[in-house]
Amino acid sequence: MKTLLKTVLIALRNLNRQKRRTFLLGGAIAFGIAIVTLINGFAGSFVENVSENFSNLLAGHIFVQGVEKTAAGKEYRTIADDGILLDIMTEQEMPVTFVSKRSEFTGSLIFQGESIRQTVVGVDWDEEQYLRERLVLLEGDFENMLVMNDRGERNGIILTEAIAEALNVELGERIIARMRTVAGQQNVGEFVLAGVSYDPGLFGQLAAYADLSYVNELLTLQPKQYQTLGIFLTDLGLIDQEAERYYEVLSQRVNVFDRAVEEDGQNPVEALFEQADEQTWTGVRYRLFTLNDVLSEVDEIVRLLNGAALVILLVLFVIIMVGITNTFRMIMYERVKEIGTMRALGMQRPRVQVLFLLEAFFLAMGGVAFGLVVAGIIMLILSRIYLGLDSAIFILLKNGYFTFTVRPLQVAMNTGIVAALTLLAAFLPSRKAALMPPVDALRA
Amino acid sequence: MSIVRLEDVHKVYPLGETHVRAVNGVTFAIERGDFISIAGPSGSGKSTILNMIGCIDTPTEGSVYIDGRPTSGLTDRQITRLRHQFIGFIFQSFNLVPVLNVFENIEFPLLLGSEVASKEERKEYVDFLIEEVDLTRWRTHRPNELSGGQRQRVAIARALVTRPQIVLADEPTANLDSKTGEGIIELMKRINRELETTFIFSTHDPSIMEIADHIIRLLDGSVIEDRRTATAGAKA
Repeated sequence: MKTLLKTVLIALRNLNRQKRRTFLLGGAIAFGIAIVTLINGFAGSFVENVSENFSNLLAGHIFVQGVEKTAAGKEYRTIADDGILLDIMTEQEMPVTFVSKRSEFTGSLIFQGESIRQTVVGVDWDEEQYLRERLVLLEGDFENMLVMNDRGERNGIILTEAIAEALNVELGERIIARMRTVAGQQNVGEFVLAGVSYDPGLFGQLAAYADLSYVNELLTLQPKQYQTLGIFLTDLGLIDQEAERYYEVLSQRVNVFDRAVEEDGQNPVEALFEQADEQTWTGVRYRLFTLNDVLSEVDEIVRLLNGAALVILLVLFVIIMVGITNTFRMIMYERVKEIGTMRALGMQRPRVQVLFLLEAFFLAMGGVAFGLVVAGIIMLILSRIYLGLDSAIFILLKNGYFTFTVRPLQVAMNTGIVAALTLLAAFLPSRKAALMPPVDALRA
Repeated sequence: MSIVRLEDVHKVYPLGETHVRAVNGVTFAIERGDFISIAGPSGSGKSTILNMIGCIDTPTEGSVYIDGRPTSGLTDRQITRLRHQFIGFIFQSFNLVPVLNVFENIEFPLLLGSEVASKEERKEYVDFLIEEVDLTRWRTHRPNELSGGQRQRVAIARALVTRPQIVLADEPTANLDSKTGEGIIELMKRINRELETTFIFSTHDPSIMEIADHIIRLLDGSVIEDRRTATAGAKA
């Protein structure tokens, strides 16, 4: 132990001997680890941020939809009576913060001869306060929409900037909507442009938003009916567990579509929707899906990001390893007489090797520590910069800010990889030093 | 029993396609407590013989015995242990560990054995040696802060710290001015008397050579003179 402590001391002092070299090598390691930590940190918060932003746009974490199929094979998407759905939430004491009720259609919006396909989502503006906070309006305001509602003019619509430009429509102008009712019949409605929202464009264009009661009217649903129940939970981490619980009780009370029927590589929501068409059934059935199902591809992106970070780490460190090997070979020749002296004084071969390996290990650990500090500072600075809700990458941000989640296990893994690669790089030179006959070393 | 014995020792080095015969059938014995000078001009084989006695080199032919035991056939681990327990080294260019201070350099060999003395024991003996070589003021200085003579005194203390039976000094005064060199030899002689450690040093300086009580003179790898001096008689 005492010998090891002295060896550690010598290794540390040897590093201090060639400050510039140590700084350059340690700096290279620090650079590598900082880059990888930044990517990992970004990937770590990626899922959470994307999920949170999508949950706001989609209005929920767990979604329930009702589908009615007639004997003739006609399908109607509607929740006619949500009593059971809401009761289950209460009975199961689910950690719910808010419940959204939405209807939607995809049809053509027409203005002065211009036509464009667009999904129009009907929302309850009084209830969906968070959506009003999230949706960045470039023109118009929500107050205007609420005032219109109060006057009984429920046909205000908010379009994204891209759609408004494509239609060349101004605030207050009337837009024709051609769509189909839930029964599949053609219908036509009229909207008044009440606002233009910012379109981040990164994950496709956002939907247009209108008042729920008017969208229901166009869909020929009753005022109390709607199509999708969205349940907001207190924590994103509870989605799968709570969905499972809810589904179990729901399946005991009403007819439901099977969950988790997707084939490899298929989106779970897509698979769930296909069931309604494929299966021969009649009556009312409910389907339940979650935000995690919708965003299953996001997990894939995170896996890709982490995989890319690992590849970057490996490539960087293979390059750094070459530098370390060469440096340690140089160090060995510089200290050859010292090695000979230590061997002459009674130092055993393995200890000579340990001395070199310890030096490499401390170099790696110093580099890792420095790299983590640098990454931490960069993350701190980036997370303080407000990019805004109208940022092109808003979907990746949390309330307009970058966030980073660095997982200790990932840092430990990266540190382990760096330590292992550095030791590997120093192994051959250290072994050569240990095997050198003392007489040759002293004569050098 | 002689503490060191060489029997018909040869050492041949390969040099390109030829061979250089550095030591050519050397036989001699060294008694315990001797203060011995191995003398001769450059290339006479002094360092090679010291290296073989110090177990950092092996003879091509012949045998080297340390304390009656042959050094041939030992593993690297055994040879290293033998060096640590029996032999202390003083080098021409001091060979101190640059990152360790005076105290740490002297203490260093004590930490290399399989059994390490307690911190107090180590401190007591290292401080004693520092006092012996008159470096108390320089105890915490690093080698680059010391003069040549001071460095060599650190090397002497380091060579003695494991209480070896033999101390080998390869041209210990070669890198020092004559006055400092004399001081070093006198210090070695004093320690030889006080601690009864066998000192074997190589030199090509006739004035230093004569201080020894046993002189072995070499020429072209062979012993041309092996005699005890008047000093030896006085000591006896």
